[in-house]
Amino acid sequence: MSDRILGAACVVAGAGMAFAAIDYAAPISYEPVGPRAFPLLLAGLMALAGAWLIARPGPKGLGLAREHLKPIGLAIVAVFVYAALFETLGFPLATAVMALPVGMAFGGSWKQSLAAGVAMGLVFYVMFDKLLDVVLPTGLLSFVLGGH
Amino acid sequence: MDTLNFLLGGFAVALTPENLMVAAIGAFIGTIVGMLPGLGPINGVAILMPLAFALKLPPETALILLAAVYMGCEYGGRISSILLNVPGDAGAIMTALDGHPMAKKGLAGVALSISAWSSFVGSVIATVGIVLFAPLLARWALAFGPAEYFALMCFAFACITGLMGDAPVKAALAAVIGLSLSTVGLDSNSGVYRFTGGDVHLSDGIQFIVVVIGVFSVSEILLMLEQHHSSSGLIQVAGRKLFNLKEMAQTWWGTVRSSVVGFVVGVLPGAGATIASAMTYSMEKRLAGPGGTFGEGDIRGVAAPEAANNASAAGSFVPMLTLGVPGSGTTAVMVGALSLYNITPGPALFTQNPTLVWGLIASLFIANVMLLFINIPMVGVFTKILRLPNWALVPGILAVSAVGVYSVHATTFDLMLMSGLGVAGYILRKQGMPMAPLILGFVLGDLMEQNLRRALSITNGELGILVESPISIGLWFGAVAMVVVPPLMRLRAPRHTAAAAA
Repeated sequence: MSDRILGAACVVAGAGMAFAAIDYAAPISYEPVGPRAFPLLLAGLMALAGAWLIARPGPKGLGLAREHLKPIGLAIVAVFVYAALFETLGFPLATAVMALPVGMAFGGSWKQSLAAGVAMGLVFYVMFDKLLDVVLPTGLLSFVLGGH
Repeated sequence: MDTLNFLLGGFAVALTPENLMVAAIGAFIGTIVGMLPGLGPINGVAILMPLAFALKLPPETALILLAAVYMGCEYGGRISSILLNVPGDAGAIMTALDGHPMAKKGLAGVALSISAWSSFVGSVIATVGIVLFAPLLARWALAFGPAEYFALMCFAFACITGLMGDAPVKAALAAVIGLSLSTVGLDSNSGVYRFTGGDVHLSDGIQFIVVVIGVFSVSEILLMLEQHHSSSGLIQVAGRKLFNLKEMAQTWWGTVRSSVVGFVVGVLPGAGATIASAMTYSMEKRLAGPGGTFGEGDIRGVAAPEAANNASAAGSFVPMLTLGVPGSGTTAVMVGALSLYNITPGPALFTQNPTLVWGLIASLFIANVMLLFINIPMVGVFTKILRLPNWALVPGILAVSAVGVYSVHATTFDLMLMSGLGVAGYILRKQGMPMAPLILGFVLGDLMEQNLRRALSITNGELGILVESPISIGLWFGAVAMVVVPPLMRLRAPRHTAAAAA
């Protein structure tokens, strides 16, 4: 992705912000500057910076080598799946499920990654939930660990 | 004498068993985080901040933990610089230049111990600097009105974009993105919901923790995927473990000089450990003249940048504590941490919350003594941790990050937002956009808008008030200079100095 695409995205985002913010008005106003001014100012600055990048793009950003494409994609998917299943599966299980692809993306074998994930899920659960009183979801394992 | 009393009061806070333990834990974790290539102080502070909050630590204890982590990172970065020739964090880049050659010559133990010592000297000198100058600055800043504050924040943004190097437009854009993210949610003055898209999860705005973890933990992990470091080149620490008196005498004045320079650079918003260590390294190299063996394992080249990066880390607490305007990404995260406790840093903090301020300052002294101890006799423990493989480390970071985000509101929405911001942050960073201005913008956004609105309320919308007082005029001039001067200097400077500063 080049600076020009980033710049165009910023111009679009700035326009979108301005479009949304133009209607922000206080029902009863106590002050000369309402809720609209600051977002509009920012929208303007964002579009301006975007336009600058379109007009004068810098040297090409750090490219992404083809060999990294797969692990990065895998890691991104794993992060989203982890977030989505965190409550449903519960922390210990979700962590094990996340650690498998992420560990493998970082060069671990599937056995190593899975073992690390299972161990981490349990150790962190006991440490945070039981010892440090940071409540974590237990999800599918709630029949063993209690909680929900 | 007031200062001395306050400082003693601070030691009373810092020496409670709980705070001592927290400082020790922070120092230990900080050293590890600093040492691991790819993770720096901002990541360490970002990942631990939500946990400190979730553990219901009182604000001064939470701040002591984060400060100890910050200082610890500045110590830890040198370990991998010296033993692996891979800087553990950005501030330790210069340390590798002479530290690694020393290690190759069999002087790894000497390089590690002298750099720990100079880190200690740097931190202590800078902490004394905080004690001397911060109360003065705070008293002066009490006279600031909303217009001056608005100008000051613009100055801080100008510094951070001007000094951020080669892409000032992208740095400015990052700041604007951060400021925009901060406007999401309920506008308390008017009761209008902004940019929420009608989603109830966004009605009190985006959680600070979610932004910080997304940008500095999730996106960092994705970046780490591309920079595999193996610990195979790790040099064993053999031979003499401690520097001798001759080596200490040889480095002493360079260490002191670099500490002072590091402190001053640290106080300036925008400039940080990286710039401080690069500046002092080249300064010492020039002062040593032809007698130096810089680049081939000169001990002075190890001591100077380490003193400077620690001093600048401590120095960066000055604008944060006295003005409430953080000058670096790491202190911006700390300001965000305080805002979780409904504490707004600023000049009034010194009078209203002396326990917090002086407890923090006293704990900096204590944490540094601990760090000296951790980093000289116990350095062997850390070299073992350096062998921890990424396939075990990274899922651990992700799990702890998710725990931190989840602990705030316990919603899947926040976790998804964290992931989305992480991927967005990754893409922006791949485009060469620095993230420190973004976080600074997010932290300062609300304060900046409030001060602008308050200032304009005074004059009923007349913009003239923003440039009325001498202080604001000075700050505006400073801001313009910060944006205009560095590019001009870069145009004039010969190529090789630009490369050395990079």
